Amino acid sequence: MTTPDSEAPDNFGEQFLDDYFAECDEHIAAVRRHLLALDQQVGEGRIDSALLDELFRSFHTIKGISGMVGFREEEQLAHRIEDTLRAVRQGDVSLNVDRIDGLIESVALLDRRLAARRSTAPLPVLPDEDAAAIQPPDAAAGTAGSGPLLTFSIEFTPTPALAERGININSLRARMQEIGEILKSTPTVKGQGEISFQFQVRTHVDLMARPEWNSEGVQTKAEAHVPDIHRPAPKVASSNVVRVDLVRLDELIRIVGEMVTSRARMEDQVKQARKNLPSPEWRAMFESAQTMARQLRDLRDGVMRVRMVQIGEIFDRMQFVVRDMARESGKRVIVNVIGQETEIDKFLIERLMDPLLHLVRNAVSHGLERPDERRSAGKPPEGRLTLRATTIGEKVSIEIADDGRGIDVERVAERARATGLLAPGVPLDDARLLELICYPGFSTRVEADRESGRGVGMDVVKSTVEALTGTLSFSTQTDQGSRFCIEVPLTLAMADALIVTVCGQTYAVPQLTVREVFEVEPSAVRALERNEMIAHRGSALPLFRLSEFFKLTEPHHSRDRRFHVFVTGTGNNALGIAVDRIVGHQEIVVRTIGDSLVQVPGIAGATDLGDEKVVLILDVPALRRSALQERMMRTGN
Amino acid sequence: MPQATGTESFILFEIAGTTYAVRSSVVQQVQMIEHVTPVPNAIPVVEGVVHARGRVIPALNLRVRFGFPKVPFDLRSRLVVINSGGRLVGLVVDTAREFVFIPDTSIEVPPDGLSKLSGKYLDGIATIKERLILILNIEQVIDVSGLEDMAAELPS
Amino acid sequence: MLRPLAKTAHVLVVDDSPTMRRMIVTALRGLGSVKFSEAGSGLEALELMTLTPIDLMILDLNMPEMHGIEVLQFVRAHRTYSRLPVVVLTTRGDETSRSEAAASGATDYMTKPFQARELFELVRNLLPPSKES
Repeated sequence: MTTPDSEAPDNFGEQFLDDYFAECDEHIAAVRRHLLALDQQVGEGRIDSALLDELFRSFHTIKGISGMVGFREEEQLAHRIEDTLRAVRQGDVSLNVDRIDGLIESVALLDRRLAARRSTAPLPVLPDEDAAAIQPPDAAAGTAGSGPLLTFSIEFTPTPALAERGININSLRARMQEIGEILKSTPTVKGQGEISFQFQVRTHVDLMARPEWNSEGVQTKAEAHVPDIHRPAPKVASSNVVRVDLVRLDELIRIVGEMVTSRARMEDQVKQARKNLPSPEWRAMFESAQTMARQLRDLRDGVMRVRMVQIGEIFDRMQFVVRDMARESGKRVIVNVIGQETEIDKFLIERLMDPLLHLVRNAVSHGLERPDERRSAGKPPEGRLTLRATTIGEKVSIEIADDGRGIDVERVAERARATGLLAPGVPLDDARLLELICYPGFSTRVEADRESGRGVGMDVVKSTVEALTGTLSFSTQTDQGSRFCIEVPLTLAMADALIVTVCGQTYAVPQLTVREVFEVEPSAVRALERNEMIAHRGSALPLFRLSEFFKLTEPHHSRDRRFHVFVTGTGNNALGIAVDRIVGHQEIVVRTIGDSLVQVPGIAGATDLGDEKVVLILDVPALRRSALQERMMRTGN
Repeated sequence: MPQATGTESFILFEIAGTTYAVRSSVVQQVQMIEHVTPVPNAIPVVEGVVHARGRVIPALNLRVRFGFPKVPFDLRSRLVVINSGGRLVGLVVDTAREFVFIPDTSIEVPPDGLSKLSGKYLDGIATIKERLILILNIEQVIDVSGLEDMAAELPS
Repeated sequence: MLRPLAKTAHVLVVDDSPTMRRMIVTALRGLGSVKFSEAGSGLEALELMTLTPIDLMILDLNMPEMHGIEVLQFVRAHRTYSRLPVVVLTTRGDETSRSEAAASGATDYMTKPFQARELFELVRNLLPPSKES
């Protein structure tokens, strides 16, 4: 990025002096007019607060720009005048003739200072003082005129076409100010996010008799006469929303997590105390512990909920990307969004942003065809992209589907066989297809495709999803399109986990990834070449030993003992992961391990079980993928 | 922290009889080594992960890093927790107990031909009361990108 | 931080003072592939942002007819722009406006008078990275 276009900071303002002086002049002229009007009003015993507002604003602006160009004295002077006006506005001091004189004097002083400044700088010709400043002003220019005062409500909806012809908010307002006074201006959102502006205008002119007030985006209606000038002060609704720093929130969640672990420990100790305490006292203590468990659960849920955001925010951003890409590539795309209010953990959404964008870009650049191609295929010229989010139990499912050409299965198969990733004669189903296209470096595109973006390939999509203990799946049909589905847990920070031991090491296994658990007799294990398997529910379940994957050995580890297996995946993808023992089941706080030094395959994060010892969390989908890939390559099975 | 101009404070620790120094500004804490959880398939220089101030951080065994043989932990072993460029990393050392000020004038450029330690780990050498202190360049020490290529891969 | 695809960022400067607007645009000109639009009022700003997409808004608070906070609330309630980066310009000593702006969803703020460089850094960090960086 280049450096800012300025010299030393103090000199920045110098290039704007012409504008500065010109603007100050305008404001001072207006201020003089207003002060004279105010003088008259004080004499008549009434004060127009709108006038005070305008005065205030003028000095506020003068203060602001004086500060910016480095004229400190002028800034301070304007500030003092602003203070006086503020006090008057708030009713702290009253406005009387003396005070107005004081204000006029201050304005004169300001003017003289500015003149002095100007004389040392190259000057544009100063405009003559506005002759109107000396005349007694009309508080509302334009109501001079005959006939009754009428009120109209005017609605204007801007469009690019109108804007091109010079018909826009400013031109309309100028027209309105010419014929009368604008009492109110309110923007409203309509329909698909268009904005329309409503004005209330008071004038002597009968706008309904003039066709130009009901054409070209402008609609006028007559209204009952509104007698009072009073312009409402800016409404500033107080917000029900507080911005929360995610870091602080994570800290809170961490503390809640620690409380959960402490409470679990305490529960154990309470149970132990049973034999030492008289029953009624123990009972009381036990019940307190139970109550606290419930409260803690509520607290945890509450804090988690704060982290939830609507996925609609992401979908909006994706639509922007789609529109942009479609424009670039000459394709037409209609985006269907379903389930925008679906809530998802903010942390998750931030991590999923890049993968989701990648899938969307893929869909638009590779999946969807150009309008002419689509027509010849008998499809409507606009491609359809569907973004859908739903909650299923404790998981969120995000789907990106297109109705384009689908993945070219043959081409993928060809390339996979050519690079040895697929044994010949092995058929490709959707799951295997997904594995292949997610294989690092596997791409049927030779050149990096600008449209798809660099740096995020399908392999990164898959690994990101799995690092979040989620799953990626997909289906495709030639000429009909593809659909990618990402499933992730609702929140990441805490999870139910199985606690397992292998060769003296303890690991946590996220419950979400486990379908079932069972015990195995060593004699029941069958081996085919180097692949082990076991009969389970009437079919052969491949077996994968964690000890081998992690290269763990223990001197007394014996293969003759019964061991435990937990099953992950379904159908053809089911896999049994063998550990020594499953020792229990616990709720854990999931901590990601950021440092690359310890990011190893098969480990998704860390936690502790209450005794300050770090316990690693298994990345079950990665383990499964690794195991199955290995087997696929060995035997094509 | 009062200090004369031209001096900096350091934490000293020992590995295999040699004294090393790191700028105290990068040291977050020094703790005893309680339990290190080994990380499977990590490179040998990584002892495992530990708890430090509520976070899970990697523990680097400096003996392994500098090519010395590993020894079992004892009561004097320490974990020096470093914060370098946002990364929190723990360094496993034999002992760590001194906090000293070293004036800039006492620090010299490391001579060529220092065996066992490639020059890039050292920022300088100081001699204090006839004691040789090797001042470490912490970013280089915890940068193991070269070593990761040698990491164990997925079994296949 | 995650960023959508953007080639030229479109920045809208909203301030009723033309001098101020000129200063802001000049201060930010060094940003590279950025295009500027100006609006002298909240209404103009809203009109503009419905006609062309914008990527960042610099919004003065003290404006006649439609106060900056109102504009901000409007922007945040709008479907497409609920997450638009909005930098509000506040005055020194005006804590109330600053908290109101924060509560209404301002992304960041800059107190007048400010150095050109400060604004430059702030906006640069809020914009999506351009292709050249």
